[in-house]
Amino acid sequence: MEGKTLRRQFLKMLGAGVVSAWGFPGLTSAQSSALLSKPIPSSGESLPVIGMGTWRTFNVGNDPELLAARTQVLKAFFANGGGLVDSSPMYGSAADTLGFALKQLGTPKTLFSAEKVWSPAGGTTREQVASLAERWGVKTFDLVQVHNLDDWQEHIAVLRELKASGVIRYLGITTSHGRRHDEFEQVMKSTEIDFAQMTYNITHREVESRLLPLAKEKGIAVIANRPYDGGSLIKGLKRREKVPTWATEAFDCRSWADFLLKFIVSHPAVNCAIPATSQVAHMNENMTAGRAPLPDGNTRQKMAAYIANL
Amino acid sequence: MNEWDSYRVQDFIPFSPDVYFRLLARMGETFWPLQLVTLALGFIALVLALRGRGRLALLLLAPLWAFVGIAFFTQRYTDLNWVGQYLGWGWILQGAALLALALTGYCCAGRSSIFTGATMTGVLIALIGLLGFPLLAPVLGVGWRGAEMFGLHPDPTAVVSLGILLIALRGWVLWFLCLLPMLWISLSALTLQVLQAPWWPVLFAIVAASFGGLFGKSRPDVRPG
Repeated sequence: MEGKTLRRQFLKMLGAGVVSAWGFPGLTSAQSSALLSKPIPSSGESLPVIGMGTWRTFNVGNDPELLAARTQVLKAFFANGGGLVDSSPMYGSAADTLGFALKQLGTPKTLFSAEKVWSPAGGTTREQVASLAERWGVKTFDLVQVHNLDDWQEHIAVLRELKASGVIRYLGITTSHGRRHDEFEQVMKSTEIDFAQMTYNITHREVESRLLPLAKEKGIAVIANRPYDGGSLIKGLKRREKVPTWATEAFDCRSWADFLLKFIVSHPAVNCAIPATSQVAHMNENMTAGRAPLPDGNTRQKMAAYIANL
Repeated sequence: MNEWDSYRVQDFIPFSPDVYFRLLARMGETFWPLQLVTLALGFIALVLALRGRGRLALLLLAPLWAFVGIAFFTQRYTDLNWVGQYLGWGWILQGAALLALALTGYCCAGRSSIFTGATMTGVLIALIGLLGFPLLAPVLGVGWRGAEMFGLHPDPTAVVSLGILLIALRGWVLWFLCLLPMLWISLSALTLQVLQAPWWPVLFAIVAASFGGLFGKSRPDVRPG
């Protein structure tokens, strides 16, 4: 009887993704080459640690050649086991491009659709969500976030209703570039949210001091945006430096994408990083970074010091 | 951190270089060979302005501003950047203002010597707009059909218009009508800087030269009677 209960508990934990793999609590992977995932604290649902951003890269208008090219990028993302795709109404035609690509590819079950609502709210939250869902060609969003905290109180109230009625599954807030962290912290402390999206990369680590520990404490999933600092970080490293051999030995680091993304997703409070790219080769490189092994705490410190000294 | 200190120009440019330059090229390919006609109209407008027929020059410019406002900004650029809708209206209103001036002749300058500073600046700027932009096509690796041309694309249209306005107008109306072209050229220069297009400083130089022409023409001793 006790054995059955233990087995049932184990299977429940497995389903919720709360299994320790390679010494990292909360990390799951079906096999060594599969994309790692972490549980969303508010539900236990598993989310792959590498997602996809769409700022600049998926804003291609109605250019047929570029629409086809971005479809291939999304195809590579899903082929690698990707889940979370993040966009915003501020990203021009990105939502339409995603809609085009999903129509071509079919909407995979692994898709975790994440959108944003923005200012002015003015009673338009529902309309914004409905309009974006139509552009994506999806019935519901998995996650809707308040973009840069704009009119967050009004938006959150409506998003909570949408979550209760099943139109969305999770709600959250976003910031980027280190903006409005004090207010962001207050919202995280005072409001029930599932996700918090913020800028976190190896050269912008301000969130390590307050926001990430708070997210861990409050059970809020964290999405790290600008993992390559808008692209400049990885471009500079690729141009000037070789990946250090100690990193390859420590956690099988093969590329700067590995180095930068593994640093982010190995933080215990971070669920997912969302690099953006317009190239299939870069997408494959990004997704490789979501596979085991990850650096441990000491190695993370060494990585940060190494980059700081460059 | 002060929120506004954290913003950079690139935070306001929501598209990548390949997308923007393909948009410009596709605009040309869609309307080919209309740009040959608009290019010819540009040369004619410049000659008319130099011959003191400023009203006719403005009459040629007016519909081209409205066309770029609609066909480029509201129908295409706005897909990439929501600001495009407002820019489109700005360009349409500029076209309306040019038409009103062409019909009334208000503040038109009349014939002046080509050897005044403002006129020479105007001619130089207009020629850069008419001839320089199409020559970017080989740099960008696009065919002539996709080249940026006066009357079809915003940069050469704004640049050529600026040059012609410096020749054809005077007084506060000259300053007022130069405002939007100079604003767009500056915005475009910033965009091109973010997109790492090497010719962006030329656009700022054109704006600076235009200011020189405007101040030169505003001096009482050279203002046409």
